[in-house]
Amino acid sequence: MLSKIFASIAVAITGSILLYGVSDFPAFGDPNSPASAGVPGSESVSLYFIEESYKDTKVPNLVTSVLADYRGYDTMFETVVIFAAGMAIFAILRVVGNDGEEKRATSLEDSFTNGDHSRIIVGTTVRIVVPVIQLFALYVIAHGHHSPGGGFQGGVILGASFIIIALSENLNAALRRLSEQNYVRLAAIGILIYAAFGVMAQILGKNFLDYGVLEPLLFTDGPEMARSHSMLGVEVGVAFTVTAIMFAIYANLSSRGQLEKGL
Amino acid sequence: MVDQIPALLVLAPLFGALLVALVGQRDHRVCFPIAIASLSVTLIGAIAAAQHVFANGPMNYFVGGWEKPLGIGIHLRIDALNALLLIAIATVAVLVTFFSIRRVGEKNAEKTHYFYVLFLLLCLGLFGITIAGDAFNLFVLIEVSSLTSYGLIAMGSSRRGTYAAFNYVLMGTVGASFYLLGVGYLYLTTGSLNMQDIHSILGTNPEIASSKAVTIAFIFILVGIWIKMAFFPLYGWLPNAYSYCPSSTACLLAPLMTKVSVYVMIRVMVSVFGLEWVFVSLGWSHLVVWLAVIAILSGSVLALAQREIKKMLCYLIVAEVGYMVGGAWLADEGLWGMTGALYHILADAAMTLCLFLAAGIFVKRHGAREISDLEGMFKKSPWVMAAFIVGALAMIGVPPTCGFFSKFYLIRGGIDAGHWEYVAALLISSLVNAVLFFRIIEIAFFGNKPAEGHDHSHDDHEEATEIAAPHSAPPVWSGNLPLFASAIIIVLLGVFNGQVVALIRTFLEDLPAVAAHF
Repeated sequence: MLSKIFASIAVAITGSILLYGVSDFPAFGDPNSPASAGVPGSESVSLYFIEESYKDTKVPNLVTSVLADYRGYDTMFETVVIFAAGMAIFAILRVVGNDGEEKRATSLEDSFTNGDHSRIIVGTTVRIVVPVIQLFALYVIAHGHHSPGGGFQGGVILGASFIIIALSENLNAALRRLSEQNYVRLAAIGILIYAAFGVMAQILGKNFLDYGVLEPLLFTDGPEMARSHSMLGVEVGVAFTVTAIMFAIYANLSSRGQLEKGL
Repeated sequence: MVDQIPALLVLAPLFGALLVALVGQRDHRVCFPIAIASLSVTLIGAIAAAQHVFANGPMNYFVGGWEKPLGIGIHLRIDALNALLLIAIATVAVLVTFFSIRRVGEKNAEKTHYFYVLFLLLCLGLFGITIAGDAFNLFVLIEVSSLTSYGLIAMGSSRRGTYAAFNYVLMGTVGASFYLLGVGYLYLTTGSLNMQDIHSILGTNPEIASSKAVTIAFIFILVGIWIKMAFFPLYGWLPNAYSYCPSSTACLLAPLMTKVSVYVMIRVMVSVFGLEWVFVSLGWSHLVVWLAVIAILSGSVLALAQREIKKMLCYLIVAEVGYMVGGAWLADEGLWGMTGALYHILADAAMTLCLFLAAGIFVKRHGAREISDLEGMFKKSPWVMAAFIVGALAMIGVPPTCGFFSKFYLIRGGIDAGHWEYVAALLISSLVNAVLFFRIIEIAFFGNKPAEGHDHSHDDHEEATEIAAPHSAPPVWSGNLPLFASAIIIVLLGVFNGQVVALIRTFLEDLPAVAAHF
């Protein structure tokens, strides 16, 4: 009880300090705020993005161009954060059981229609819905250039499609489609793809992640289109990692690291 | 080629980690060579970068080539402030990798590759934090290093380790969120995330620099980093997390994590807000120095109360963090306090590494967790004990070890600034360290006189022989090589302190604020 009172006081103090600073903020939606218009002596970054990003990258969705190109280094490490989170969870939770193999062999047979009628409806629905979900995920990944979307969102949807299989049947049904060995690999390959785009630019003599120089490799006209295509490439890499880790975290948490049965 | 080094420093461990994840699950024997190879590349890169920086001035690297206007892309920067720290991180990482052979795989061999993936990603995070020139990028890499360290700490087999890791997750998350909130406030008021850009905006726009939002941004960033470095009174998570985790993890985290956080604090003070703003406009240096004094004293006293070797070392880290924070905030005219703090980052990394390696070896070979278990250690492993004593002498501050010189510079700063309480705390802490370590040396040399202590240690020995089963014991050199290397580094760093400090001063003397009035 005492600790709760103490915690509430700490939260109240922190909150009031934060609120105290809010009075100095620019007004909500103020077009002349430092973040939108810049301050004397420093050109506004937001204005630059709004005015120049299409010319630089030929990507209409400027969120994508900021995320995957201007601040691509951050995004790569955000993907590494997800990868690291997955690895940390495996390192803590994963239990390699001795009897895991035989159990898996038996559970291969229990199909989703095994006598349980409520499962027929769920299972059939999932069978119909999963391809649609996956197709939509691919659309979200590929369409990040033009509309909200991209690798993180698409990867989450794709990962969810595997989780829904695991929920409707059992974990093994999903693991048959994406096994433990493969999801670790898929996660690593995702970041490798991302980093490879950066390193290719270094090999061709520019800085890391300077996609413009990849023009001859991608057969595009002009460095802008090379940037646009490379962004799609790195989004695919992000999607690989996010898909694999999303599913892997679910698989490990739901089975307490045993990777069998699940919920 | 040289200009690509900043990217290389983070890419080498990244590719190492990915390679381990790809091929490590099949064959655990490839993990160690990959780790050592990628970290050696970073070490060479760090040395080359330092040479370049001290010969030609700071290296600026703009990822993706987005240089102008400043702040649209990510800016990486190596200058005299972080070049030496990069070498220190790489050296510690390489040495601890040697120490980690087979040690990791003993209990759960199938997780060896996860350990090395996390280990390399942690090194990546520390390198990335050190070279970041962008306030948000720094946060992303703090996340990488924090997440991996939570995983590494929780990998230990003891339940207490898991609980400590959970505690650390909560504290670390609060710290990281505070930092992020501070950066958010800063972005709202200045419109930039690039450190150099923010610095010039705050310098040229006094009305922004004096706003409440900027002050609060600084407070939140500072408190966030203080949680990460376990500064008084936010150190509660550290002792359990570092003493109940696997030895290799402790040897990597203890020397580096808190030191890199201290570097981040100094970087934020110097390169984002500017020393003049921090010391003159804010004027809190007295408060922070007093906090540091309490940190030093409480860390020392609590260390005195510990029975376990690693726990004792952990409380000494709390005291050492107090040294560095206090030194950085002394605000003396010649910035000798800051010099001492920066030198102490390197010195303390070497000292902590040496002591933690020795403590890890005591546990592994002799099952000695508690101070009383060290009885007769001079006979059992004289060389390990000798290296431990080098580390202990450095902690006490005996010349010619580096610990003496860092205290010398810190005390000089304290006297110049007139902070006698800080000087007194440093001397008291040295005295306490002397008591602590001479007690250990006495036990190790002459044995434990009181009968009950003797019985107790005897029980533990039986337990210990079970732990250190001969077939699982790692090769002797894998423990001794990094230990002796760290002991030699402690002495070398002390002998060549003049040169090292001269390199640090090249950075501080370039600061416009040095000649100013605080």
